[in-house]
Amino acid sequence: MKTKLITLLAGATVLCSAAVASAHFQMIYTPEMAIVKGGTIPLKLVFTHPFEAGHTMDMAKPEQFFVVSSRGENEPKRTDLLETIKPITWTSLTNSGKAWETSYQVRGGDHAFCLVPVPYLEKEEDAYIQQNTKVIVNVGGEPGSWNQPVGMAAEIVPMAKPYDRWTGNVFQGQVLFNGKPVPNAEVEIEFMNHKPQLESNSFAKEAEVVAPQDAYVLQTIFADANGVFTFGIPRAGWWGFAALGVDPEYKFQGKECSLDAVIWIQAKDMK
Amino acid sequence: MLFRISAVVVTLLASVTIASAHTPLCSCFDNGDNTITCEGGFSDGSSASGVAMHIQAANGKVLLEGKMNENSEFTFPKPQGDYVVAFDGGDGHQIKVPGNEIAK
Repeated sequence: MKTKLITLLAGATVLCSAAVASAHFQMIYTPEMAIVKGGTIPLKLVFTHPFEAGHTMDMAKPEQFFVVSSRGENEPKRTDLLETIKPITWTSLTNSGKAWETSYQVRGGDHAFCLVPVPYLEKEEDAYIQQNTKVIVNVGGEPGSWNQPVGMAAEIVPMAKPYDRWTGNVFQGQVLFNGKPVPNAEVEIEFMNHKPQLESNSFAKEAEVVAPQDAYVLQTIFADANGVFTFGIPRAGWWGFAALGVDPEYKFQGKECSLDAVIWIQAKDMK
Repeated sequence: MLFRISAVVVTLLASVTIASAHTPLCSCFDNGDNTITCEGGFSDGSSASGVAMHIQAANGKVLLEGKMNENSEFTFPKPQGDYVVAFDGGDGHQIKVPGNEIAK
C-alpha cells in the first residue's frame, strides 16, 4: 500500500516537472517581422510549447483578432481580422492541435497583430489560461505606433522595436494590466527552437539549440517596480515573452484563469 | 566672447546631428486600378506631408508634379511606359523609385 502511494506520488512529481519544464505560449507567426516591401503575409495562430515544439493545445475561435496599422504621424487604424481566419491543424513533435490561419496585405509602417483567445482549460490544473498576444510587423522601416498600447486587458508594450533587434541587443518591455504597469511581473521567456513550416503547418523536427538543463528551456525573469523587464538577446530568431497572471483575481466560468500578456520579437545576426 | 562663439558652434553641430539622424523613406504600391500610391516619411516617424513629388519619364521629362498629402501619401494615375517616382525632401533627402519595381 505504502509502495503504491509512493509510486503515485513519484508519478505526480514527474508529471509536474514535465509541466514546469516548458511553458504554454500563444504564437502569432509570420516568417518575417521586418519586411522590406509590402505584400500579402501569412499568419498562423498556434497555442503551443515552442522551445520543444511540444504539446499543441486546441484553440477555440478567438474572442478577438485584429491589427492596428500605423505609419509615421498618421492616426493608427484598427482592422478586425476575426472573420478572415480559417481553422487548420498544427502538428507538433508530440501531437496535433486545432489552430487558425489567415493572410493580410501590408503596406508601409507598423502592423500590430493582436489576439485575445478564448480561455483554455488546463484540465490537470482545473484552471484556465488566456494569453493576450501581440506581434508587430514593420514594412519599409518607417515606424508607427509600435510603442503605444493597443488596449488589451493584459498587454506588453515594447520599449524597443520588437522587429529591429540585433543579436546581443537588449529587449525591454512594460507589462500592463488595464493600461497600468504591473510591478514585479513574472515574465517567462522561450526561444522558438523548431522552425515553423508554413506549408505543412508543423514544426521542423530539428532543434536549433540543445538546452543544457531544464532551467534553460523556459527562462524566468521579473519586471521592476514599473513593470519593466529587460532581456539580453543571445541568439537570432524568435523569442517569446509571457507575463503571467497579471490579474490574480481573474476568473473564467468560476475557475481560476491566468491572464497573461505575450509579445514576440525577432532578432537578427550582424553579418 | 570665445565662449559665445563656441556655444553657437555647438548648437549648429547639434542641429546638424539631429537632421542627419533620420533618413527619408518612400514606398510605392500599385493599387490595381491604374493608380499608384506612394507613402513617404522619415525613419524617426516624422511626417513627409508637403514633400514635393515628381513623376519622370525614362527620358527625364517630368510627367506629373505634386506633394505628399496630410497623411504623407501621394496617389497618381499610372503612366504608360517606363517612369521613375522622385521623392524630393531637399538635400540628402531624395529618393527615386523606378516604376518597374512597384508591385501590388
